[in-house]
Amino acid sequence: MAAMLKCVMSGSQVKVFGKAVQALSRISDEFWLDPSKKGLALRCVNSSRSAYGCVLFSPVFFQHYQWSALVKMSENELDTTLNLKCKLGMKSILPIFRCLNSLERNIEKCRIFTRSDKCKVVIQFFYRHGIKRTHNICFQESQPLQVIFDKNVCTNTLMIQPRLLADAIVLFTSSQEEVTLAVTPLNFCLKSSNEESMDLSNAVYSEMFVGSDEFDFFEIGMDTEITFCFKELKGMLTFSEATHAPISIYFDFPGKPLALSIDDMLVEANFILATLADEQSRASSPQSLCLSQKRKRSDLIEKKTGKNVTGQALECISRKAAPRRLYPKETLTNISALENCGSPAMKRVDGDVSEVSESSVSNTEEVPGSLCLRKFSCMFFGAVSSDQQEHFNHPFDSLARASDSEQDMNNVCCRKEFNRSDAKYFCII
Amino acid sequence: MKFRAKIVDGACLNHFTRISNMIAKLAKTCTLRISPDKLNFILCDKLANGGVSMWCELEQENFFNEFQMEGVSAENNEIYLELTSENLSRALKTAQNARALKIKLTNKHFPCLTVSVELLSMSSSSRIVTHDIPIKVIPRKLWKDLQEPVVPDPDFFSFCLPFLRLCKILNLQVIEANLDGELNLKIETELVCVTTHFKDLGNPPLASESTHEDRNVEHMAEVHIDIRKLLQFLAGQQVNPTKALCNIVNNKMVHFDLLHEDVSLQYFIPALS
Repeated sequence: MAAMLKCVMSGSQVKVFGKAVQALSRISDEFWLDPSKKGLALRCVNSSRSAYGCVLFSPVFFQHYQWSALVKMSENELDTTLNLKCKLGMKSILPIFRCLNSLERNIEKCRIFTRSDKCKVVIQFFYRHGIKRTHNICFQESQPLQVIFDKNVCTNTLMIQPRLLADAIVLFTSSQEEVTLAVTPLNFCLKSSNEESMDLSNAVYSEMFVGSDEFDFFEIGMDTEITFCFKELKGMLTFSEATHAPISIYFDFPGKPLALSIDDMLVEANFILATLADEQSRASSPQSLCLSQKRKRSDLIEKKTGKNVTGQALECISRKAAPRRLYPKETLTNISALENCGSPAMKRVDGDVSEVSESSVSNTEEVPGSLCLRKFSCMFFGAVSSDQQEHFNHPFDSLARASDSEQDMNNVCCRKEFNRSDAKYFCII
Repeated sequence: MKFRAKIVDGACLNHFTRISNMIAKLAKTCTLRISPDKLNFILCDKLANGGVSMWCELEQENFFNEFQMEGVSAENNEIYLELTSENLSRALKTAQNARALKIKLTNKHFPCLTVSVELLSMSSSSRIVTHDIPIKVIPRKLWKDLQEPVVPDPDFFSFCLPFLRLCKILNLQVIEANLDGELNLKIETELVCVTTHFKDLGNPPLASESTHEDRNVEHMAEVHIDIRKLLQFLAGQQVNPTKALCNIVNNKMVHFDLLHEDVSLQYFIPALS
């Protein structure tokens, strides 16, 4: 029995599905179709590895949902379960899900299923009067990536109506690359973030202050200002138009990723975005996002197929082992198998993290004009280590130590968990 | 140099926004002149603009209920600023349901025109939106280039008519008119020549000397202009004028003067050389 997916949707469900694809297309040109018992997940990550998106459709979202994974029996009785490894290009999929409003009105049923033998995904639309439209799309075999990010330990949580986000977004031009979110326990401000490299003589600086009573939920543990990519924020807004559910924003200090989520029982969407680290903090201290391959048993020594290096390149951490942070000059003894991965990223695991080639880290490499790229890059190569304090020059790191004072408890309690080696990092999906 | 102004009336705000949109369509960069009674949007006839120039004037008291300015000096109580027109129109567009709009001259790292808006929202608290538009202060020695253009007197023919909408449909190349209330819009190519005739248009009374009375009333003054410049001008029209004047200086330029209740816009298109 091969790994496969088969699902059926109605017209209005197709609209939501199509919106999800459109939202993810803001992050990347490719995405994975990843079915599991939890439902069908669409996952993508951008080329600079600074943004990750996932939309999970629960099995009850569909009219019919069926999936299976391949189970390989092996001699030593350790079975390997291999899930569907299916990566699709946005260029092939977006045109299929165009004119969503008209699709919603006109189709009776949409069927999506995979044919692993031919590496194809088949999408069929059934219209009235027996008309059927079929698309066959080849997929690339590629292991989906997942992000490990615990939203619940974030100091700051907001829940807003999509309308508010839409109103804020019109303030900025489409050429605006980054925006800054500044919060205090009483109010919220979204403003343009104009770095030195921009043409100051022409750039309009805009900001919007919103009172906390406009939010469905507003819990700010500490005053924070974080900066992230604007395009991805717009992507989440695209999806929110389909669901009418509020958008939740989870974040901490600058440098730690920010999560945008929508959860409406049947569909759960998460965008994890890297944020700009503070000037003072060392950019080489990667933050908490950890990408792992989705395998029941980590099989790190397996040779890559020539097709897709990057998909497997980032597989570095087995779910069972305690996640450990990659730090300069720190050798990761329990992940020695990594050396066989041969990816550019992981080759230098025992050296300075700042030499990671795939996405340069700012304090050693000056890449003019790609400010966004270089400071955001560190997001994905991290895992939490218990001895991080010595390397962690972030101004907030003093809070990372356990504190008994009443004052700090509020701000610190979530960080205590963050720092323990058995940190509660589990997949958000 | 100081400038602070406030609009609280919704209709005034909409009107000001529309004017700003129109300016943004006519000129990428323009000069804003602030004086005690007026605001002017000016485009001077540099080669970079293709020779067209524009002069738009508003009476400030028709828009702002608070207006304070202090010019460069007591004798020269004016402020000339250069800005990217689209920046202002975009900032104003976000002010649609505003309780109040404030504009002021500020200096945040560099000189700015700060537009700050208090927006109505569904909850009890308001939202405050601020835009800092970078500007360049124009030094006094350059002011002489930015004065109201004077239309040369000789060969001065004019008429009034509400013809703007029609012009958008036609591809004009030549405009000719006479003192008898006739206007012709012509396009000439190698293969075809199309002329549209307008009759019975008004000619406003000429303020100039009696030498003009000697002219043949039916004699046409004409000017060849670049279609694109005219189309750009017409495309920018968002404010329907109560009166439109078209003045032609024979073979030199065409001058449009649009009058609305509280705004006047003059646009000069030079003849093709």
